[in-house]
Amino acid sequence: MTTLPLTHAAPPGAPRSAAHASYLDTETTLRSWLLTTDHKRIGVLYLGTLLATMALGGFFAMAIRLEHLTPDPTVMSAMTYNRMFTLHGVIMVWLFLIPSIPSAFGNFMLPMMLGAKDVAFPRLNLLSWYVFIVGAVLVLLSTFVGGIDTGWTFYPPYSALSPTAVPLALLGVFIVGFSTILTGLNFIVTTHTMRAEGVGWMQMPLFVWSIYATSIIQVLATPVLGMVLLFVVVDNALGWGLFDPSRGGDPVLYQHLFWFYSHPAVYIMVLPGMGVVSEVVATYARKNPYSYKAIAYSSLGIAFVGFLTWGHHMFVAGMSTFDAGAFGVLSMLVAVFSAIKVFNWTWTLKRGAIALKTPLLYIFAFLFLFVFGGMTGVATAAMSLDVHWHDTYFIVAHFHFIMVGGTLTAFLAGLHYWFPKMTGRLYPERLGMLSAALVFAGFFVTFFPQFLLGNAGMPRRYFNYPAEFQVLHVVSTVGSWVLAVGLMSTAIYFLWSLRWGPEAGPNPWGSRSFEWRTASPPPKHNFTRTPPFEIGPYDYTQPLPDEAP
Amino acid sequence: MTAARSVEHAEHFESLERQAHAARLGMWVFLATEVLLFGAAFALFLTYQVQFSHAFRAGVAHNTKVLGSVNTAVLLLSSTLVACAVHALRRGDAKLAARLVGGTIALGLTFLVIKGIEYGKHFDEGIYPGGVGHYFTLHPIRGLAAFWTLYFGMTALHALHVTIGAGVLGVLLHAIVRGRLGRETAYRLEVGAIYWHLVDVIWIFLWPLFYLA
Amino acid sequence: MSSFTVPRTVSRTAVALFVLWAASFALSYAHLGAASLLVALAIAAAKAALVVMFFMELVSESLSMKLTLAAAGGLLAILVGLMAADVATREPPPLLPPTREPAAHEPAPAEPGVPSR
Repeated sequence: MTTLPLTHAAPPGAPRSAAHASYLDTETTLRSWLLTTDHKRIGVLYLGTLLATMALGGFFAMAIRLEHLTPDPTVMSAMTYNRMFTLHGVIMVWLFLIPSIPSAFGNFMLPMMLGAKDVAFPRLNLLSWYVFIVGAVLVLLSTFVGGIDTGWTFYPPYSALSPTAVPLALLGVFIVGFSTILTGLNFIVTTHTMRAEGVGWMQMPLFVWSIYATSIIQVLATPVLGMVLLFVVVDNALGWGLFDPSRGGDPVLYQHLFWFYSHPAVYIMVLPGMGVVSEVVATYARKNPYSYKAIAYSSLGIAFVGFLTWGHHMFVAGMSTFDAGAFGVLSMLVAVFSAIKVFNWTWTLKRGAIALKTPLLYIFAFLFLFVFGGMTGVATAAMSLDVHWHDTYFIVAHFHFIMVGGTLTAFLAGLHYWFPKMTGRLYPERLGMLSAALVFAGFFVTFFPQFLLGNAGMPRRYFNYPAEFQVLHVVSTVGSWVLAVGLMSTAIYFLWSLRWGPEAGPNPWGSRSFEWRTASPPPKHNFTRTPPFEIGPYDYTQPLPDEAP
Repeated sequence: MTAARSVEHAEHFESLERQAHAARLGMWVFLATEVLLFGAAFALFLTYQVQFSHAFRAGVAHNTKVLGSVNTAVLLLSSTLVACAVHALRRGDAKLAARLVGGTIALGLTFLVIKGIEYGKHFDEGIYPGGVGHYFTLHPIRGLAAFWTLYFGMTALHALHVTIGAGVLGVLLHAIVRGRLGRETAYRLEVGAIYWHLVDVIWIFLWPLFYLA
Repeated sequence: MSSFTVPRTVSRTAVALFVLWAASFALSYAHLGAASLLVALAIAAAKAALVVMFFMELVSESLSMKLTLAAAGGLLAILVGLMAADVATREPPPLLPPTREPAAHEPAPAEPGVPSR
């Protein structure tokens, strides 16, 4: 195979050299992993956990799609179907997408991108992983004691009355929320206090900006969800009935508080993805991003405006028309900041010295799917159109384009991009590209028909459907199989590369970003000596001192 | 005594100053989450208040204003004591700091006792969360159940915070008595103290909602 | 041992807090009607500001701490503001949902569930 076309150089501190044992080699006992405070190991622990939860959520998704192969019951009962789509949503949102990029790659990369030895509170960081595990176990436990059939949004009054294991699952989500708060807090303080000499706010890699903006949302929005979920828990378990209309309760208030978290949560999912895009685009175009400041500040802009838009989920819920109008207009503002980013990335790619690798292929998929999903989002922010599309497959398709088409493709891009850094090994490039193409095609075939289904009037979360919708449903299900094949082949070649992949060297992509200025896998304290941080993370005009021949 | 020992900073920080700054910033960010946590409940209270202002006024009128107000004074005094404790420790007077922190914890426990007495009173009158109890059959006012549910939910959550705060201060008190916390590491007591102050601030807002207006 | 005097900022803040506490308590006996909640909350805000600024020493903290608190406060204002705007501008419901356990002596909904404006 081709060997590292972009690497210039004699690596300083070659990987696996005895002098600087990598973070993987210093101690190898299980105990040393479970009690580690090394941000890189915690990142790896998170990555492993999240890939497992993603596989589980994906399994439920496949089951749902299989069920829709025929208009009548196909493989499961209606009640099982309700539990399946609820669990699919809960697992994918809280146990995969929200922690995906920040907790796995953020933990691993953020301190290195700041030139720090670790995050500000390493023990808190480990605690957040354990808290996450406890929450995840509670959620999964609820499957065995009756499941949960409310949908991932847990709307009362039904969630207050449902006989399924609502309190257990909600407590699980509450605890997972704690874990995201702790991670976000850690990242904010780390960004403020741990930057190395020469790494000012405007010299940080753009991934740090997006993780920082994400952390702000996590820290400020999650407690609101926590509070309102606690009230639903006591409503369901103890019959407090705060949202029960028969006792004067107002379920719309639940929706306000729920979406005050859950709409910004979309940006918790997609902002880190945007950070990955910024990194990957600059590296493979070998160029300075078209405007560093515009990308950095638009991250903060999205974080802020994301808090002003939650009401667009509630246009038909009984909210006042005045409020709905206000939310509709505010929602469209988000598109402005997202567009700033998209234009910046495409301008960065223009006339760049493009190296077409798997991560960049995923970024192309991201750009196409994210813009597609985003534009349908602007359309649904118009109240009159939303009334038609509300709670149909159109919405399902729209948010899957953002969450899967945006976040999952960015996650996969990041996984390919940083895999050499984390493990010191390269993945097979051609298989990677083939799988990326499969994932993209599978995704598009799965979800594009759902736009048409929704527009034709197919409601979401319905077990059966009229026979005239069958063709589109079958296409969608077949697409899901293609997507699954793409993801599985990705998993297989990654596992293969862990053992047999060619050694990557410190900087296989020739990136200028700070995390590449050390061995792969990095030593325990990230840098064996202080790297030259005066040369910026996107400065491709001069060679790094280490790389000079 | 404490000044004689030089204090090492954690390995991944550049200096003790940076570490202290990080600890304080971490606590402030955490307090921001607490603000939003209680803020969500406040938002619920205020929106229900707008919808059922008659019932909410009836609820406030029924509550024991004197006990709630005494409890406010207790917390204000405790905040003052812990603020003094921080100043004392910064000057190296660990003994006084320990006494003041001890006083703060005692006042926190007093608060919990008074709160418990109030809860007992409500239960005697047949007021339970969720509009359960004979009080609600005697006073069938729409929205009254929401008032008492929010009352129990918010004050119980606050009491939980008082308990946690007292626990944190207890750990710090132990460290002061053992001589592990001195002039250079006074920032740790500061971090604990600002948490305690926030618990006080939350009550400052709960008091008018449930007892005054 | 060492002669410790209470720092002036602490003592002054404490005095101010107790004055405001007494004022709020006394005002609750004056019948201010709908304004009473607003007055009480305004005094509470003043007290909270005193505690935050001088007990928690936010005045002498760096900008990052101030921004953190400002962000939390700002978002809370947005949350409460847009929620209250909804409730205050909502059309009254066409009919009220039935109460769960209609007591025999209960008059038809004693307090209409429509926003009192």
